[in-house]
Amino acid sequence: MPFAAEALPWYALLLLVAAIAGELVLRWLHLPRLFGWIATGVLMGPQVGGVLTERMLFEMRGVLDVAIGVVLFQLGQRVDLGWLRRNPSLLATSVLESSLAFAAMFAVLLLIGVPSLLAALAAAIGIATGPAVVLSLTRELRAQGQVTERMLLLTSLNCVYAFVVVNILLAWLHQEYSNDWASIFGHPLYLIFGSLLLALVFALATLVLLTLLGRRAEAQFIAVVALVVTAVYTASALKLSIVLVLLGYGVIARAFDTRRRFASLSFGSIGQILLVLLFAITAATLDLDLVPGGAAAGAVLVAARYAGKTVGVFALAPASGLSMRKASLVSLTLMPMSGVALILVHDMSALFPGLGSTLASVVVSAIVMLELLGPAAAYFALVRSGETDQTGS
Amino acid sequence: MNTRDCDLTRAASDMLALIEKKPHPGEIKPEITESMIEISTGVHARHDTLLAELLEIRAIVVAASDRLNVRVAGGGAHPFQHWSDRRIFDKPRFKHVSQLYGYLAKQFTVFGQHIHVGCADGDDALYLLHAFSRYLPQFIALSASSPFYQGVDTAFDSSRLNAVFAFPLSGRAPFALKWSEFTAYVERMSVSGIVESMKDFYWDVRPKPEFGTIEVRVCDTPLTVERAAALAAYAQAICRWLLVERPDRISEDNYLAYTYNRFQACRFGLEGEVIDPIAGVRRTIAEDVAATLQAVSVHARELDCEAPLQLLGRIARDGNDARWMREAFADGGSLADLVWQQGERFRGAG
Repeated sequence: MPFAAEALPWYALLLLVAAIAGELVLRWLHLPRLFGWIATGVLMGPQVGGVLTERMLFEMRGVLDVAIGVVLFQLGQRVDLGWLRRNPSLLATSVLESSLAFAAMFAVLLLIGVPSLLAALAAAIGIATGPAVVLSLTRELRAQGQVTERMLLLTSLNCVYAFVVVNILLAWLHQEYSNDWASIFGHPLYLIFGSLLLALVFALATLVLLTLLGRRAEAQFIAVVALVVTAVYTASALKLSIVLVLLGYGVIARAFDTRRRFASLSFGSIGQILLVLLFAITAATLDLDLVPGGAAAGAVLVAARYAGKTVGVFALAPASGLSMRKASLVSLTLMPMSGVALILVHDMSALFPGLGSTLASVVVSAIVMLELLGPAAAYFALVRSGETDQTGS
Repeated sequence: MNTRDCDLTRAASDMLALIEKKPHPGEIKPEITESMIEISTGVHARHDTLLAELLEIRAIVVAASDRLNVRVAGGGAHPFQHWSDRRIFDKPRFKHVSQLYGYLAKQFTVFGQHIHVGCADGDDALYLLHAFSRYLPQFIALSASSPFYQGVDTAFDSSRLNAVFAFPLSGRAPFALKWSEFTAYVERMSVSGIVESMKDFYWDVRPKPEFGTIEVRVCDTPLTVERAAALAAYAQAICRWLLVERPDRISEDNYLAYTYNRFQACRFGLEGEVIDPIAGVRRTIAEDVAATLQAVSVHARELDCEAPLQLLGRIARDGNDARWMREAFADGGSLADLVWQQGERFRGAG
């Protein structure tokens, strides 16, 4: 992944335009900045404005991986595994909303004639809620409370489920191409356990480093940024999963942080810059050409996914101590779907060039629709929950 | 607090919704911001029944907090929360107070323990109110648990009371020994439009005619419910002693050293110095506690609360919660870690 120096001015331009657009959206429309970032990406992308070409976007992929890595790490840090133990209904909620969303999407895709294995793959990709959207909204709105916390927890868990299911299905696909059992079973196992092991190594290394550095926020910050970037590159060099490694890294680091050394750590303005790039580049990468063909199927897919997640969240709301009103808000926050899904689609098309395109048109259509609808729904839900700064006095 | 960085979070309404579903002793109510709840017990004549009720309420609160992934702790103030982050609980009276006092209302995200002591009539209540004021520094020092405020060590053992003093109607009640004189005063204040009701006075000790009690309001919320119950038992024992033996003659002179003593207690805790201008005594608050414990010992035996008073005697010798917090901070190195440990102590685990 070359970080081409000649691309730097384009990053700067993209950042500048996105930053201005973000502020305009905030000031005039009173909406979160990320809508401005997304709009900037779409408008500057190869298919609309053409300021950014396909080649540039390809070169930016390295930064995209780092940005997603940082997002997932931060998300992981916000997840408290102890909470699942203290409130087991939450784990059940997460499994249920993911399975129902999967089942609903799978059924819809089968009905419109997608081959079953492809349908399952697309449905598996749809399990994941967009981690960048939920993290960015949480930060910008300074949201805190039950809706926010559950959104973050359920998002991290469904990203993991999506990843695991997709890889199991990919192994299944392998079987249709070859009869090499070692690769059918070995590869997913390597991905899952290798990723978790790498996450563990990085988490422990980070905690040791933080102990050595002491509680100086700046030193901690630089060290952790460096380690997170290293983790992204190591994961991709070892062909492990960025999703699992970075999410796991965040979760494990927090779980083992018994003296709360991480407490003061935040990615601050670097995190913000990466988020801007992530949203803008992802939006620019969206393959709008695929939308007309897949629009109908995409829309049904979006509706089925939302229905599945909503039923899952509602079913166990009383058991997990959530009011029905807040349950409806939590289900709305789970709508976004972006970065991770795109990576999964991308990885899949790389592995199986033939099949990627059919699948991609439906899934990409759904992603394009949810690119704006998802953040809007989550934003609406967070504001209505009264957990943001805007609803306070 | 949230479980991530131990800053205050918004959870009061969710917690209360969860708690209301089941019957429980006492009352658990919202307070002015979404980060605080108010717990009150029923009326108790004995320390052991009070403690039992408090333990039961604590179990309910802890269970609800576990389900919502938040933590609850005692302490007079959150060590590093920022007042501008606080959200006012959605209830008309709180919104009104917030508009009237502006930043003071949010800065008032401090946590106190109020002790009510029942009195036979209004005159007894006023005698008790003024006689008790001599012992307030002890209660401030014994309960002090707000050494850190807005992220810094304030050098005070109880920084919380400084937030209270900023309010225009804080301080001490006017000197009146007859209930009729006192109601005349409240009437004058209300006719002139200064206050609407007794609720607007933020005095250190104030009468509460609806309950037939005087309300001692100077204590920081201790880190443990055991300590809260012990302080209530101590107040009960002192009041019994004052009412039965009437050891002190009450006059306006009682208040000569009042603000000086109170400052000493807030700033230096148990090492602070109190001056009793009438008796001509000058000693540390720790010594004063020991002397008072001695004086009330007969009544403590009557009330069967010797054990909790012994606990307070040990605190006077070995140090209060503020001291423990400074040591825990020095040991753990971060305020977030300190708050985590405060949460553990509240649960009874630390």
